[in-house]
Amino acid sequence: MIEIRFHGRGGQGAVLASEMLSQAAFIDGKVPQSFPFFGVERRGAPVTAFFRVDDHLIQIRTSITQPDIVVVLDPGLLKVIPVADGLRPGGLMLVNSRRPPAEIEAPPGARRATVDASRIALAHGLGSKTMPVVNTVILGALARASGVVSLEAISAAIEKYAPAKPAQNRDAAIEGYGAVRTIDPTTSPVPPVPKVPHPLPPLPEGPIASRPTTSIHTSSWRTLTPVIHLAHCTKCNFCWKFCPDDAIGFDDQGFPVIKLDYCKGCGICAEECPPKTIEMISED
Amino acid sequence: MTVMVLSGNSAQAHAVRLARVQVVSAYPITPQTSIVEKIADLVATGALKAEYVQVESEHSALQVVVSASGMGARTYTATSSHGLLLMHELVHWASGARDPIVMGVVNRAVGPPWNIGADHTDSMSQRDTGWIQFYAESNQEVIDTVLMAFRLAEHPDVRLPVMVMEDAFYLSHTLEPVDVPDQAVVDGFLPPREAHATLHPGTSARLGSFTGPDRYVDFRFEVAKAMERVPATLRLVEEEYKKATGRSHGGAVPTYRVDDADAVLITMGTSTTTARTVVDDLRAQGKKVGLAKLRLFRPFPNEEIRALGAMVDRIGVADRSYTFGPMGAAGTEVSAALYPSSHHPAVTGFYAGIGGRDVTPHVVRRMYESLLSGAVPEVHWEDIEEEVSVDG
Repeated sequence: MIEIRFHGRGGQGAVLASEMLSQAAFIDGKVPQSFPFFGVERRGAPVTAFFRVDDHLIQIRTSITQPDIVVVLDPGLLKVIPVADGLRPGGLMLVNSRRPPAEIEAPPGARRATVDASRIALAHGLGSKTMPVVNTVILGALARASGVVSLEAISAAIEKYAPAKPAQNRDAAIEGYGAVRTIDPTTSPVPPVPKVPHPLPPLPEGPIASRPTTSIHTSSWRTLTPVIHLAHCTKCNFCWKFCPDDAIGFDDQGFPVIKLDYCKGCGICAEECPPKTIEMISED
Repeated sequence: MTVMVLSGNSAQAHAVRLARVQVVSAYPITPQTSIVEKIADLVATGALKAEYVQVESEHSALQVVVSASGMGARTYTATSSHGLLLMHELVHWASGARDPIVMGVVNRAVGPPWNIGADHTDSMSQRDTGWIQFYAESNQEVIDTVLMAFRLAEHPDVRLPVMVMEDAFYLSHTLEPVDVPDQAVVDGFLPPREAHATLHPGTSARLGSFTGPDRYVDFRFEVAKAMERVPATLRLVEEEYKKATGRSHGGAVPTYRVDDADAVLITMGTSTTTARTVVDDLRAQGKKVGLAKLRLFRPFPNEEIRALGAMVDRIGVADRSYTFGPMGAAGTEVSAALYPSSHHPAVTGFYAGIGGRDVTPHVVRRMYESLLSGAVPEVHWEDIEEEVSVDG
């Protein structure tokens, strides 16, 4: 049995990726099992999906805590989610990233692979700049990097089950298959996995949470970060006015400051800024 | 038949299509939503010739199918968690009115705190409403049980509504291969509904109107007798389903390696699959353990549980809900069923898998080890000792 854990964001298609992978594995004559886990069902929020494949019906119904393969659909998740938790020795980490695989943080001995899935997805008209739909590119890359499923089966599954743009999604998968880069752990040092805060804070006493919701840092949803170039800022406050999440404050001189713990990277401030002095940049 | 890779929710929708349901009404709620989305799609494309009635709440959804069922239609609805709780008044009504409605329930925790994970509290809180209750372990069992449920609900000896439960995400959103029977096979197994009494313009009849102390108890007694006839009717229905499709799911309480067992764990729903693997592992180590699945919870399968109790000295019952009784809902019922017997096995209640917590092989193994050691408290919360790291 091979176990794969997908980490993505609501809207990127991590769940659909695991579903299309199931259909592809079935086309290949194998027995798949896949299911998602999500807490809040919102665009941008971190989402996990699980996939198992074997030659016979799978006799376990739990989430996957010791995956053979971890697939990360958004590079920003490496900093906010312990994606590499439990990865089996010699396991594979496949990340949507512009970086070469040698730079990807992973447990010692892990094989690593990267593909610039965001760029490929956008080139095929899949999703938007803030939220490229990278799932099919990733599936193509996964087929090449892992051999778990054939590219023919992936292509056939995408053509049949992609909810929109089947031809573009299939072509994106084929490009992902060609573009994925892998590195063997023995040929280069592996940067250690960054420390991610423990997901479970201590329980409050009594039935009501004693911490305000401002203690919940919703910035884990962000894929692009606004940067204000103050040289051209006119202090018009439009960014503050239009921010839907009160994630913009002011410094002593009245210049706007992004509250990065809460900014979800929606890009509305950059869109509304009259002198166009806010830039949305990728942190990858 | 065709093997398709389906989610539990898709399996429910395909069963509704194959059963040629005539009226569907539902209100969307996670994790049930994809059932009714799929059914709406089947109706829109003409694959299912049914009336799909959109409503403003679950209470209204059940009212619509209660009324349509009273007119003689084959009806279906589906819900989950707070949606089922909002239906509660009509849940009682449907069984009292003897409407053979089939309802898919995706078992989800009840808030607060808000949670969409697998937990049986929602349907367990409806266990005394006069509905037959099945808990499914696999998507294959979902599609087969929904089809059997229509046959059972409409059987002249029964005429009661049926809930078919599936664990949130562990089935509802899990894709796995499912054998989907052909329409001709289902048509042979499940003929059109023959309603015993219907409300139609031109015929004078009353349904559910005022009845005083002189007759009310007689109606309740009729429901009780119908419920008592369910186990025998289920055996018949399952036998016929097996003739039609080659599959059966082992009756009310299918057992696994219980014959010479020192300890048996009783599970419901998806934790059964994982537990079966653990039984094999422990048996390989020479430990005599067995497993029984409570597939039918209402009516409670007293006879099967007593037969099991006569064979073993230690029984554990894993409940995926907390219901404020002496044990969990299933643990309490198992104990009560065994009490009149001459042989009294020790019964231990476990809470495991509350609010979508994984019931891992480790947790199952620990329950068996508790039972085998004999040093167990009356009830035990298994989840509390588990370390988890689930993001989301």
